Amino acid sequence: MHRYLFRRLLSLLGTLLGVTILIFLLVQLIPGDPVQYLLGDYPTEEAIAAMNAQLGLDQPWIMRYFSFLGKLLQGDLGTSYITGITVWQEIEDRFPITLQLALYSIILATVIGIVVGMIAAVKQNTWVDRLVVFFSLLGISAPGFWIALFLIWIFAYQLSIFPISGYDGFYSLVLPSITLALGGAGMIARMTRSSMLDVIKQEYMRTAQAKGAPRTSVILMHGLQNAIIPVMTLIGLEFGSLLAGAIVTETVFSLQGLGSLAIEAIGKRDLPTIQGIVFFAAVLFALTNLLVDLLYTLFDPRIKYE
Amino acid sequence: MMKWRSLAPIGLGMALLLAACSSNTSVSQNNSSTPQQPAAATEGGTLVVAAPVEPDTLDSQKSTWLDNTNSQSYDSFLSRDMQGKLVPHLAESWEVSDDGKVWTLKLRQDVKFHSGAPLTAEAAKASIERFAEISPVKDLAGPIEKVEAADAHTVKVTFKEPFAPFANMLLGTFITPLDPERLKEKGDQFGEAPSATGPFMNPEIKRGASVTYVKNPDYKWGHVYADNPGAPYVDKIMFRFLKDDDTRILEFKKGTIHVLQEVPTTYVPELQAIPGVKIETNMEQGMKYLGFNNKKDVFKDVRVKQAIAMAVDREPIVQYALSGFAKPIFGPLPPTIPGHSEKIENMAKEMYGYNVEKAKQLLAEAGYTDSNGDGIVEKDGKPFSLELLLMDDPVLQRVAQILQNQLKEIGLDIKIAVTDAATVKDRAIKGNHELFLLYFGLNDPDILFLLMETNNSKRVHYSDPKVDELLTKGRTTLNEEERMKVYEEAMELLVKNPPWVPLYVTESVTATRNIEGYKINPFTGDILFGDIKITK
Repeated sequence: MHRYLFRRLLSLLGTLLGVTILIFLLVQLIPGDPVQYLLGDYPTEEAIAAMNAQLGLDQPWIMRYFSFLGKLLQGDLGTSYITGITVWQEIEDRFPITLQLALYSIILATVIGIVVGMIAAVKQNTWVDRLVVFFSLLGISAPGFWIALFLIWIFAYQLSIFPISGYDGFYSLVLPSITLALGGAGMIARMTRSSMLDVIKQEYMRTAQAKGAPRTSVILMHGLQNAIIPVMTLIGLEFGSLLAGAIVTETVFSLQGLGSLAIEAIGKRDLPTIQGIVFFAAVLFALTNLLVDLLYTLFDPRIKYE
Repeated sequence: MMKWRSLAPIGLGMALLLAACSSNTSVSQNNSSTPQQPAAATEGGTLVVAAPVEPDTLDSQKSTWLDNTNSQSYDSFLSRDMQGKLVPHLAESWEVSDDGKVWTLKLRQDVKFHSGAPLTAEAAKASIERFAEISPVKDLAGPIEKVEAADAHTVKVTFKEPFAPFANMLLGTFITPLDPERLKEKGDQFGEAPSATGPFMNPEIKRGASVTYVKNPDYKWGHVYADNPGAPYVDKIMFRFLKDDDTRILEFKKGTIHVLQEVPTTYVPELQAIPGVKIETNMEQGMKYLGFNNKKDVFKDVRVKQAIAMAVDREPIVQYALSGFAKPIFGPLPPTIPGHSEKIENMAKEMYGYNVEKAKQLLAEAGYTDSNGDGIVEKDGKPFSLELLLMDDPVLQRVAQILQNQLKEIGLDIKIAVTDAATVKDRAIKGNHELFLLYFGLNDPDILFLLMETNNSKRVHYSDPKVDELLTKGRTTLNEEERMKVYEEAMELLVKNPPWVPLYVTESVTATRNIEGYKINPFTGDILFGDIKITK
C-alpha cells in the first residue's frame, strides 16, 4: 500500500509537470497580451516597451517558463498583473465559495443520483424507470444557464424563498448547488442504474434472496456495494471538475468563486492568474482522483494495491 | 394508455408549478391594487447601483479606466457644467501662462480630506507627481516638467511644451489630490483603502461582488451645478457587479437595485412598464465606427472607401440593432466631444449619404465589376471579399449582420469574424485585419491625434502628413477658438479621405427605481449621487 501510494504520488508529480508545460504553451497561444490591457487604449511605444520589460515579457518564453517553474517549486504562483495581489491570495479569497458549492452539489448529486438510479434498476422497464431515464437525460443535457434562470425565476423571483444572486451565506448557495447538482445527478443515476442492472443479474443476488434475506438488505448490501465502484469513479471526476469552479453558474448567480476569477483573468490576459488557477485546479483534480482510487479498497476488499 | 399514464406525473408536476407561480402573481397583484401613496423622499438609506464593470483598483492613479464606481472618493480640480462650460471645482480659479507652458491652479481653502486634514497645495503637488510617475495613462497628461506649490493654496504645473488637452485631464479624477497621510501609510496598496476629498469614503471592497462607500458627512464642496453641494442624502452607496444581463434585470425587477446602468435596449419596454421606474438616456462621449485598415492595398484607393461609406444606411442599424437608442453620425467627432462641428457633420452627410448607385459607380471606376453575374464584384478575376472583425457583443453582432447585407448590395462579400475584445485589439494593433467594428471614447478632440496621427494610429493605421501637422498643432494651441478651427481643418481632410465610416453614437440607457434627483452630466459622465434621495 505504501509503495503504491509512493508510486502514485511520483506519477502525480510527472503529470503536474506536464500540466505546467501545457498551461504555459496554451497561454502563449491566446492572441492579445496583458500590456495592451494594462496601458489602456492609447499607449505610446515607449510605455509599451517599459511595461514589457517591467513584467519580464520581453524575455523569450522558455526563460519565462523556467522562471515560472522555479517560483512554483517554492510555492509561489506569482502576482496578478492587474490587481497586484498574489495569485495565492486571489485563490484564497475565491476558493471558499467554490469549495462550498462543490461540496453541496456533489452531496446532493450523489444522494439523488444513487437513490434514483437504484430505484430505476429495481423497477426496470416500469414507468418509474422510464421517468428516471427521461429526467436524468434532461438533467444532463439541459444547459446550466437555463436551469439556473429557471430556478431563479421560480424560487427567487416569484416565490422569494432565496436571493436572486450574490453570496450571502449558505442560503444563497442553495439554487446554484441545485443547478450544478442536476447534471451530475443525471449522470450518477444513469451509471448507478446500469451498474446495478449488471449486478442484479448475478447469481449471488439470487442466492441471497433464496436464503431468505430481506429484499432491501439484498439490494443495499449485496447489490449496491458491488455496483458502487464505477459510480465512485464518476463522482470523483465530477467533484474534481466542480472544484475548478463553475464559470456559467457563478456568472449567472453572481458568485465570486474560482470560475468567475478565471474568466475575468482570461478576458484581461492576466497570465499569472490564469496559470495559477489552472495549475491549482489540476492539482485538486489529480488529488481527488487519487483519493477515489484509494477509497475503492474500502468498498471492495478484492481490490488491493501493491 | 401506457404512454399516457407514464406522462401523467410530469403533467401534474407542471400544473403544480404553474399553480405556484400564478397564485403568487395574484397575491402581488392584490398588493399593488391597494392604493399606495407615493412615499415621500427621505434622507438616509443605502443606494444600490448595478454597475457595468468592476474596477481593477480604486486607486485612480493606477487605473486606466475611471467611472462612477471608482471615483466616489475623489474630487476633480475642474469640471464642465451641464452645458459643457469649464467650471471650477477643487480649483476655484485657474490660468494658463501666455506661452501656454505654465498652468496655475488656485485651490479652495475650505476643503478637507476624509481624515479631517485640510487640502494643501503640497498634497496636490505630491498627487500630481505621483500620477506622472506611476499612472499607466500618464502620457495623456502631456509632457509635465515640474510641479510646484507656489503658496499654501496655489499649485503650478510646468510643461516642456504647451499641451492643451491638460484641461481635459483636470476634469477627471486621474489627477486628483490624495490624502498624503494615507499615501504614506499604504503606498502601493492605496487602492485598498483610498482616502481623498470626495463625497463618499471608506469603501468596503468585496472583490468580484461589490464596493460600498459611506457618505462623507463633512462634504460641502460639491459641483457648482449640483442641487446638493453638501453631504450626500443617502448614508451609503453600494455598487454591485452583476455580469449576467438576465440576472441584473431580474434583480432590478425584484426591486433590489435603484440604479441599473447599461440596460440592454431590448429590455427597455419591459422595465418602463414597472411603476416607479424611470428610463434615463445619456449620449456617450464617443462613437462606434466601421474601421478600415488603411495600410492595406485595397484601401489605398480612396474610391473604395468612399463606396463602402455610401453603401451604409445608418437608419436601419439604429432602429433594429439598437432599438432606436442611438444617433447616426457621419463626421469624425460626436456632439458630446468639444470640437464637434455642424459644418463638418453636414459636409460628411452630404458626401456619404446612403447612395447605392453612386457607390456602385465608384467601385466600377476603381475596377470592381460583376463580370460573372453572381452578385459579387470582381477585380482582375478575384471576387471582392473582406473580413469584418468584431468582438462578441450582441449589439455589434447585430450591426455586423446588417452591414453584411447592405454591403452585399454593392457587390461586396463580407465575412464576419467574431472574437473577444482583447483579440480584436491585438489583431488591429498588429495590422492583421481588414474591416473592423470598434468604438472610441474620450472627452477631448485630442482623441483624433491618438487615433489618426501616423505614429499613434494603432487601429486604422492612418497616415497623412497634413493631418499629422494639424492634429499636433491642436495639442499645442491653447486658445479655445483657434484650437477648434485647427480641428475643423483636420476633420475636413478626415472626411475627404476617410479612415473609417462613423456609424452611430450610443445613447446609454439607465433605469432608476424608487429614487428622485437622478442626474448625469453628459460632458463628464458623472452621476450626481449626492442629489439622489430614496423614495421607498
